[in-house]
Amino acid sequence: MRGKEFIKTLFMSFFIIVTLVNVATYILGITLQPEIQFGYEALLSPLIYGFFGVLPFAIMYSNRELSVRQLLIRKSVQLLLIELLLLYISFGGGMFDPSNTRLAMPLAGSILIIYVLVNLILWLLDLNTAKSLTNELIDFQKNHNEADISVSDD
Amino acid sequence: MNKLGLDVKVRKIEQNAPEMVEIQCHEIDHRVLEIVSFVKARQGQVTGWIGEKQYELAISDICYLEAVDNKVFIYCSKEVYETRQKLYELEEILTQKNFLRISKSVLLNLMKVQALTPALNGRFTAILMNKEEVIISRKYVPELKKTLKGGK
Repeated sequence: MRGKEFIKTLFMSFFIIVTLVNVATYILGITLQPEIQFGYEALLSPLIYGFFGVLPFAIMYSNRELSVRQLLIRKSVQLLLIELLLLYISFGGGMFDPSNTRLAMPLAGSILIIYVLVNLILWLLDLNTAKSLTNELIDFQKNHNEADISVSDD
Repeated sequence: MNKLGLDVKVRKIEQNAPEMVEIQCHEIDHRVLEIVSFVKARQGQVTGWIGEKQYELAISDICYLEAVDNKVFIYCSKEVYETRQKLYELEEILTQKNFLRISKSVLLNLMKVQALTPALNGRFTAILMNKEEVIISRKYVPELKKTLKGGK
């Protein structure tokens, strides 16, 4: 993936991540720390996670068409980088208390779930595009078959 | 005489006389065969080879063409033929016959596609009428959309 297409995917991924981080924060918060209250600055955390979450997408940039094997390797490295980066900014960046290790596993799990969901949503968007392209293709074939018939009638 | 060693003459004929291309040559070599293939392709036929056997294929029977290691192969529903023409030469003619470049090495007959499905990394898979699958590179998707919307 490269150029405009890459930038488009990056932006789409960013907004999907921000939305899903909001949902994950709500679920994790209400389950693990329901007593905690936040200030306005907490509203920035999904954006920060979104920003750092899309940075490893750079690994998917390629001028050449990637093979399935190359793609899977890059996706695995991407997931690993996202996990390390987001866990680092969570515990090293002061969002969570580094001594509160019981949060690490649910957080890592949430990152994995969000990563899978982002890829699933992007795939569903492609599925939708494929369906509308198939419909356009059927119309295209119908129109061209009709055109052929009218030519042979002459 | 030009660099290829063949003179080119075009002669206007009367309206009721049949149009034709005549090649006068010392021997039927690859240059002559290429010219013959080109003329046939303009008329809706492509010359394909299986071994030393030559076949005239109707363009409408071709599913897709693929270039592999400097060779170009023609994929029909059941058989695979080799052609001596270059992919870019065929592309010039076949894009007028509802063929479209879908990757660096593949020309697809849109009339032979049954459905499109998403593949990995933003690519699409074209499922052909004979259930064969061909990958459409992301780079060529905008051109596909344009063609289907009648932009070509």
